[in-house]
Amino acid sequence: MLTLKKGSVSKVRYVIRFAKEKDIKFISHLDLMRTIHRVIRRAGLPVEYSKGFNPHMNLSIAQPLSVGVYSKGEYMDIVLTEEVAEELIINKLNDSAPPAIKFLQAVRVPDAFPDGKKIPQVASIIEAALYTIKIKYDDVERGYKDLKNLLKKEQWITIKKGKKGEKEIDVKRLIKEFKFDIEGDSIVIEALIACGSRENLSPELLSSYIKANTDAVKENSFVEVERQEMYTIKEGKYVSIASYFK
Amino acid sequence: MNKINDDILFRVEKPARYIGGELNSIIKNPQKVDIRFAMCFPDVYEVGMSHLGMKILYHIMNKREDTYCERVFAPWPDMEKLMRENGVLLYALESKEPIKNFDFIGFTLQYEMSYTNILNMLDMAGLAIRASERGEDDPIVILGGPCAYNPEPLYDIGDLFQIGEGEEVIDEVLDLYNSMKGKYSKSEILREMAKIRGIYVPSLYEVEYKEDGTIKSFWPKYEDVPAKVVKRFIPDINDNPYPEDMIVPYTEIVHDRIMLETFRGCTRGCRFCQAGMIYRPVREKKLPKLMEQAETLLKTTGYEELSLTSLSICDYSDIQNLLFSLMEKHKEDRVSISLPSIRIDAFSVDLIKEIQKVKKTGLTFAPEAGSQRMRDVINKCVTEEDLLTSVKHAFEAGWSTIKLYFMIGLPYETLEDVVGIAELGEKVVDEYFKVPKETRHKGLKVTISTSIFVPKPFTPFQWAAQDTMDAVKEKIQAIRANIKDRAITYNWHDSMVSYLEAIFARGDRRLCDVLIKAFEKGARFDGWSEYFNFDIWMEAFEECGVDGDFYAYREREYSEILPWDFIDIGIDKEFLIKENERAKNMELTPDCRLGCKLCGINVNFKEGKCFQGAVCNKVR
Repeated sequence: MLTLKKGSVSKVRYVIRFAKEKDIKFISHLDLMRTIHRVIRRAGLPVEYSKGFNPHMNLSIAQPLSVGVYSKGEYMDIVLTEEVAEELIINKLNDSAPPAIKFLQAVRVPDAFPDGKKIPQVASIIEAALYTIKIKYDDVERGYKDLKNLLKKEQWITIKKGKKGEKEIDVKRLIKEFKFDIEGDSIVIEALIACGSRENLSPELLSSYIKANTDAVKENSFVEVERQEMYTIKEGKYVSIASYFK
Repeated sequence: MNKINDDILFRVEKPARYIGGELNSIIKNPQKVDIRFAMCFPDVYEVGMSHLGMKILYHIMNKREDTYCERVFAPWPDMEKLMRENGVLLYALESKEPIKNFDFIGFTLQYEMSYTNILNMLDMAGLAIRASERGEDDPIVILGGPCAYNPEPLYDIGDLFQIGEGEEVIDEVLDLYNSMKGKYSKSEILREMAKIRGIYVPSLYEVEYKEDGTIKSFWPKYEDVPAKVVKRFIPDINDNPYPEDMIVPYTEIVHDRIMLETFRGCTRGCRFCQAGMIYRPVREKKLPKLMEQAETLLKTTGYEELSLTSLSICDYSDIQNLLFSLMEKHKEDRVSISLPSIRIDAFSVDLIKEIQKVKKTGLTFAPEAGSQRMRDVINKCVTEEDLLTSVKHAFEAGWSTIKLYFMIGLPYETLEDVVGIAELGEKVVDEYFKVPKETRHKGLKVTISTSIFVPKPFTPFQWAAQDTMDAVKEKIQAIRANIKDRAITYNWHDSMVSYLEAIFARGDRRLCDVLIKAFEKGARFDGWSEYFNFDIWMEAFEECGVDGDFYAYREREYSEILPWDFIDIGIDKEFLIKENERAKNMELTPDCRLGCKLCGINVNFKEGKCFQGAVCNKVR
């Protein structure tokens, strides 16, 4: 790993894993960004700012979360102007954060691989994300049976509304792994689905497809969604973002 | 009774308004306190969270180990609907517990058009709206803020009113309550509260009207209840508790920055301005104190912007030094400083030039009136030349967006005076084109806004009639017809809202029924044009047999007993009368710092020292 001379101002990159907890699931991505900026300022970390008329922090959150979704597998890239011990970064951030944001792990990322190739930003390597989705049913047994049958279908065709208008897509093709079980009055689904810039399936689209195609869904009930982890592909296998950088 | 839950929250607009948990919000164990206090702002979260007074009181009350102060804002109508459908009572953001069971429910009265929201919030809390109908075990409803200087339209809503600055008196109220709680009845507690300076308990006073509808007499029912309620103020605001941190909301609010209060009061003496009278005497925080508070707040909030607040910030006696010291100290942390209000003079433009070196957002000036005659009437000691020199400086320094604020419907105003507003706008445009092309920035935009004058209690214009809606319409037309240049945009306020404001600002107890009737008919969020419904209000007046014109359009005699006369703000009524007479003759009354104008504040209140904390008392 590359080391820096003490006192020299330079760019030191870190990947930080954090959690947006259940209590603040209803805050938006922009709100979360703004809050994290302030946490970093409070923490007094030597963060790098861009040059120009309107300098902004050199920080990016890998994959936005929708309003209503919480997560323990969020990632951000941040550039500091000097090296700070990983543990110290985490402690400082947690001391300065509101109760429902937890910083879990910081990994110092070198500028380049040993072969000289640039190490990519987190956002550009994400391939999939693992979600837990809880859908409430009036008759959960019936919903369970319906979902079982639904899985036999070759394709799950639905309409995706995007910026360019509506588009027909096959949801099922974007699902990598799918497990489900009954928990109280809910069906709890654990799904690894496509995520990132190449292919993306939102957990909301998946859950609304299931809600529309199973019977006895509880009306006007909130579907709880938690992002567990995000993955990239390394040597043909899904590996968590944290272990990729470690 | 149901608790707030996700099945409701996911269906409302901006659910972040209702979840709490923000940075620096205070979590206490409700079991470990004696007093639960719900601090309510009768408007939506983004507006209420921008209010400095609430932040200060939240800080003071939560410093007490025996008290837990929590926040409550008015749920937006979509949220209200779902809460009512699901049987969720109005709850406090910190604990999510219903405020119905609290000891106190406090509301701040910032503008008259928020009154129906107070009623709605009490109703959503599961309480009776009328104080006279609430029970022994129900919370004590306490109201304060600038509109409490005429508490009468809300006399049967609040159990007690707190008149003036709240920092000290709130502790006295809580101490007294804690010593009597459980041992005495609510009415006994209220009777004792009435003896605290600055506290008004309306149920302990009686009012009688004459046949012509004016007040015949107003008197306390008992001998131990004071006939005069004397306002509270903090003699030295340097020792005043100020929050060491402030809640940093997740979602963007109206004033999303640190608010650093620099001084209270104003020496200009504009005759329309209530704040200029009720917040006397002028008291300043010393520079080292401000530097210390700024540093602490920047550290604890992480905010990048700090706003210096006061009534007229450029009048801070050491403003230049303060600005440069703040900028010098925090230049490495990329902190920007903002001045919310600037005076119309070259000095102020130069100051703002220093702090907005790069990003030049629009500049706002408030000449208030279009003609010199009218500016003399209202005692706005600003000339046309002052304004044109200021905008010339601004255009030369690179600004190209100018906003100008005016009032119309001022006392003694003619159509000719308001046409002056349009003419002044044109002259500002001319100044822009006088600046050489190479110097000035492209894209001139001049915005003229007019609001309609609402006569307020405790001002020299408190006896004046408001201009009628028809007259106002004609004046707005005249301005529109006289704006020729396409660089000028003209915005004007709705006259119906101002009419209601005028009624409630100077109303008496008989308006309480009207307010309740309007609320029952569905009035709420009246300050929001999408919800304001004038017809509801007109029906409410009619059904209650109350004539709105009596309050809005009637010129009062000096001898009339005004509904707020029992409140003593430290300013002599004779001073206000003298100022009103001077207004009629267009006579200016210069700034207090050019010599005392004998308003009475420093004589009536022995602790009322003018310019407390200031480095000098000279006008620049």
